[in-house]
Amino acid sequence: MAQPDASGSHVLVHRLRLKHRDPKADHKHPINRAHYEEASRGARIADQVSAVLGSWTFIIIQSVLLLAWAAVNYWGLFVRHWDPYPFILLNLVLSFQATYAGPIVLLAGNRHAQKDRITLEHMADEADKGEEQINRILVEIKKNTDLTLRILKELEAEFA
Amino acid sequence: MSADTEVTTARRTVAAKHKHPVNQLFHDEATRGERVADQAAAGIGSWWFLIIQSVLIAIWVFINSVEFFTHKWDLYPFILLNLMFTIQAAFTGPVLLLSGNRQAQKDRLRLEHTAEVAEVSERATLEILEEIERNTEATLKVLEHLKKRRDSKSPS
Repeated sequence: MAQPDASGSHVLVHRLRLKHRDPKADHKHPINRAHYEEASRGARIADQVSAVLGSWTFIIIQSVLLLAWAAVNYWGLFVRHWDPYPFILLNLVLSFQATYAGPIVLLAGNRHAQKDRITLEHMADEADKGEEQINRILVEIKKNTDLTLRILKELEAEFA
Repeated sequence: MSADTEVTTARRTVAAKHKHPVNQLFHDEATRGERVADQAAAGIGSWWFLIIQSVLIAIWVFINSVEFFTHKWDLYPFILLNLMFTIQAAFTGPVLLLSGNRQAQKDRLRLEHTAEVAEVSERATLEILEEIERNTEATLKVLEHLKKRRDSKSPS
């Protein structure tokens, strides 16, 4: 039966859970396939860069480096100061990071906007398909009703 | 509780148990890192953050430029404040991407769910169509039987 019963939806959730954290999974939806599995080289690199830059690993490593830089140059631990308080070179380094982070954020955003656009186009196609199916059902029901009416007429003629 | 209130409550308390499987997987089953990421994005992207940041900047500039205060740590042109801004920006970028990646993950999951559901519903539609066609055939046979009966009755 096509009816999605409780166990059926459980299987569905299980299948989704497997794909949840794996963008390289075999996708079922054509838009996911087009977006992830058939992505161009540039798009793949954009995804990887935004995955690395937007990860806890990156944020934690950056925090550690930043604290180390400030500590070394403030208290002069272990090595010669190369950027004394107020850390003008650190400022430059972080500005440099921010200068690239902005465009990369937009790169990821543009990629997402593109996916959104093709998703809507796909939905429009699907809506057309659904409408066609509903029309077929409607035509079939009308045929059925016509037949039933003819039967009714036959019976009425018989009992008249 | 009316349906409207239920939806509103679910929207406000993210930790609530969700009904849609995608929300269940995405919010209810989020790992600790994912939860913290959502909270960080929600924290930085709030009016509270903007207001507190503005107040802190104003205090910083005020103390370091008005003569009344004796303990100054960052004189005009506020080089350390500049560094603070840069640090904020250097972390906002990655958090923005973190949040964006998370949304992209949800989007991907939602489409997969749509595909699963569409498959079920397409099968159901085809079954409905087949069932109606069977019904039509049966009705057609009934009509034929009636006609046969009339034809066999009328000559006599």
